Amino acid sequence: MLSSVADPAPAMLKYVLNRLVGMVVVLFLVLTITFVIVRVAPGDPAALMLGPDATPQDAAQLRAELGLDQPILVQFGKFLLSAVQGDLGQSLFFRRPVLSVLAERAEPTTFLALFSLIFSIAIAVPIGIFVAYRRGGLADQGAVSTAMLAASVPSFWTGLVLQRWLATGLGWFPASGYGGPSSTFLDRMGYLILPSIVLGIVNSALILRFTRASMLDVLGEDYIRTARSKGMSEARVVLKHALKNAAIPIVTVVGLTFALLVSGAVVTERVFNIPGMGSLVVGAVLRRDYPIIQGTLIVVAALYILINLLVDLLYLLIDKRVRY
Amino acid sequence: MKRSLSIVLAAALATVAVPALAKNVINVAIVGEPDTLDPMVSTKDVVSIVTQHVVETLYTFDGEWNVAPLLAKDLPKISDDGKTYEIALRDGVSFSDGSKLDSADVVASLERWLKIASRGKTVADKVESVTAKGPLAVEIKMKSPYAPLLSLLAFSNSAAAIYPSEIVPEGDGQIDKVVGTGPYEYGEHVPDQYLQLVPFKGFVPRDEPANGSAGKRGQVPDEIRFIPVPDANTRVEGLVSGQFDFADSLPAESYDRIEKSDKAKPVLLENFGWPVWAINHKAGLLTDKKIREALLAALPFDDMLFAAFGDDKFFKVDGALYPEGWAWHSEEGTKAYNQNDPEKAGELLKEAGYDGTPLRILTSRQYEFHYKMAEVAKQALEAAGFKVQMDVVDWATLGQRRNDPALWDVYITHSPFLPEPALTDMWFPSSRIGWSEPKKDETVDAFVSETDPEKRQALFAKMQAEEYDDVGFIKVGNFNALTGEAKTLQGVTPSPWPHFWDAAKK
Repeated sequence: MLSSVADPAPAMLKYVLNRLVGMVVVLFLVLTITFVIVRVAPGDPAALMLGPDATPQDAAQLRAELGLDQPILVQFGKFLLSAVQGDLGQSLFFRRPVLSVLAERAEPTTFLALFSLIFSIAIAVPIGIFVAYRRGGLADQGAVSTAMLAASVPSFWTGLVLQRWLATGLGWFPASGYGGPSSTFLDRMGYLILPSIVLGIVNSALILRFTRASMLDVLGEDYIRTARSKGMSEARVVLKHALKNAAIPIVTVVGLTFALLVSGAVVTERVFNIPGMGSLVVGAVLRRDYPIIQGTLIVVAALYILINLLVDLLYLLIDKRVRY
Repeated sequence: MKRSLSIVLAAALATVAVPALAKNVINVAIVGEPDTLDPMVSTKDVVSIVTQHVVETLYTFDGEWNVAPLLAKDLPKISDDGKTYEIALRDGVSFSDGSKLDSADVVASLERWLKIASRGKTVADKVESVTAKGPLAVEIKMKSPYAPLLSLLAFSNSAAAIYPSEIVPEGDGQIDKVVGTGPYEYGEHVPDQYLQLVPFKGFVPRDEPANGSAGKRGQVPDEIRFIPVPDANTRVEGLVSGQFDFADSLPAESYDRIEKSDKAKPVLLENFGWPVWAINHKAGLLTDKKIREALLAALPFDDMLFAAFGDDKFFKVDGALYPEGWAWHSEEGTKAYNQNDPEKAGELLKEAGYDGTPLRILTSRQYEFHYKMAEVAKQALEAAGFKVQMDVVDWATLGQRRNDPALWDVYITHSPFLPEPALTDMWFPSSRIGWSEPKKDETVDAFVSETDPEKRQALFAKMQAEEYDDVGFIKVGNFNALTGEAKTLQGVTPSPWPHFWDAAKK
């Protein structure tokens, strides 16, 4: 939303507050829809917890203990009351507060997202700029085709191939996991390198294409020709004048990618057995751990909205003409 | 200065000359996070595999699946009428919380087991009392003789685990911190990441040589680390890369890859278990015996097994409910197995007046072999004249739907060969499938009351014949389980519930 307001500070504050109020509405909708969907879906968490030889009577007893035998409206009311007090309930499987389970998963997911994003940006942005500058050339065609291929290949396949080649075959990385009892922070980060490369490859395709397209738009503008006619070096024209103006779409796609990654790289976490948000939510769905599914989706939705808000605010730094 | 330099040098040399002893850590990849660390409340194999290192029972099974004493001093003295079990406990056994094992612990634990454990509840109505008869003596009185009791007390699944009476909760409550008398105790636990077991320093092993789970239990590894790895391919890659010393439950198609590895080897546990079609006797199409007979006549078990496992290395076409080599093995009634006769099935359907009501097969792709065998069976059943409805759902949904007899005719499951036939609940009318037939019920009653092993074997052969005659449930065949272990690993005996207290790396 671009406008020309004389005093930007109060307007921006109002904008942020509006977005935060909107966030509460979105979170309520997410919470309600998730609550209904997980309970409408078939499957009995109690039967799953007790194992294959448990009787229906055992399962019924456990359902009662877990409060799952109560009417859905009563369950929803209790859940809502707790949620507004910051309590997302107890995990049925882990028998611990949902927030504490989610907190444990924050480290691997956050750093996996961060590393893969750094990897993607490091590859995609320079190549995107270069091939836009050399539009139509061999490098451009090669990069665009490779990006298409990287975006089309499922991440599980890339993960399996790289796992087998670089971890099992060459032994450069651990094949899976996130360290053991004596692992330091650095050890744990070592487990994230290979999955970060996998996710980085997949996401770099999108960022590369956006960077290229955005740079192509800008490089055709009049002010670029003016800059060149003033005798500026090509590097200065491209990296200062063109890139700065092409940055908004790039930042948008990077922000969205990061939000997606933080919400859990489900497949990659599964392939590499990383105990992050993605594997947590898959496990929770299979175990019918309703509070974990609900809690994860609420936290993910909140993160998604916040990251989008941050990206919007970042526009202000990139382009001084942007006002809210 | 000179002195300090020499001290530094000496220290450096000492470091080089006497390297720190490497810890013997055994990394075990298991199929998922255990639901609980209390084996009394779960029938899942993954719970048994982990908890058997920490929590012990009065009895266990030796390498030939005979009941053997564990926390009990010896096998119990059973009265002539088969109703009273006098159990002497071992002296000097400690729990990992420091308390000593006594009869009060056993009574409290068994009472809880009878009240809350799925397997305990199956015997609860037959138990008159569990009483302490001194600090190290317990008496179990039965209302009527019940031969499977010792096997139930020995089983690590829905286990009659012995806990200190102080931690046994009142009512149906959970145990907050599980402690036991086993060779290991729980160390650090990060759910979905690892569960560390460390040696219990106060552990008192038995004196007899190790035999299966019986006899002397070692404390060979300095640490056993169970790592939940739900994805089977990730377990294979971790094993082949040398990250895991043992990986449980691997897909059959990974056999060649593991065999070619320089770090790991495949381990085939022959006759691990049997896929079974559970038949709904409470409601629906299969309450008609003729239609059940048609179903049995139509099914091509050899094709189903081949489709499910792909290579005869992994299965055996075998109708006997226990494979050769088991005391329970018998060929009684097995002529009805693998008839693969669509014409006969069609005739039987005609006799039954089959009206084309779909046969609902409830299955899941959680275990791909269930689904594959159902797909093959569907073709054969349709060729015989059945109309088939495949209800393919996820495992959680299957677990829920099978509790409602209105929703299915057959559901597909599997089981390891259990040491005692009476541990298979499908024999009893009270089970989920609700199979009741007067002749069979009478034989089963006689079987569970009989204490003489030879008479029990004969009765079981009769049960098997009656099972085939009435088509109570359908055994598809035997299948082998694939696990894998590092070439450097030794001391692990293949078992459906492998243990690692004697595991070492060469």
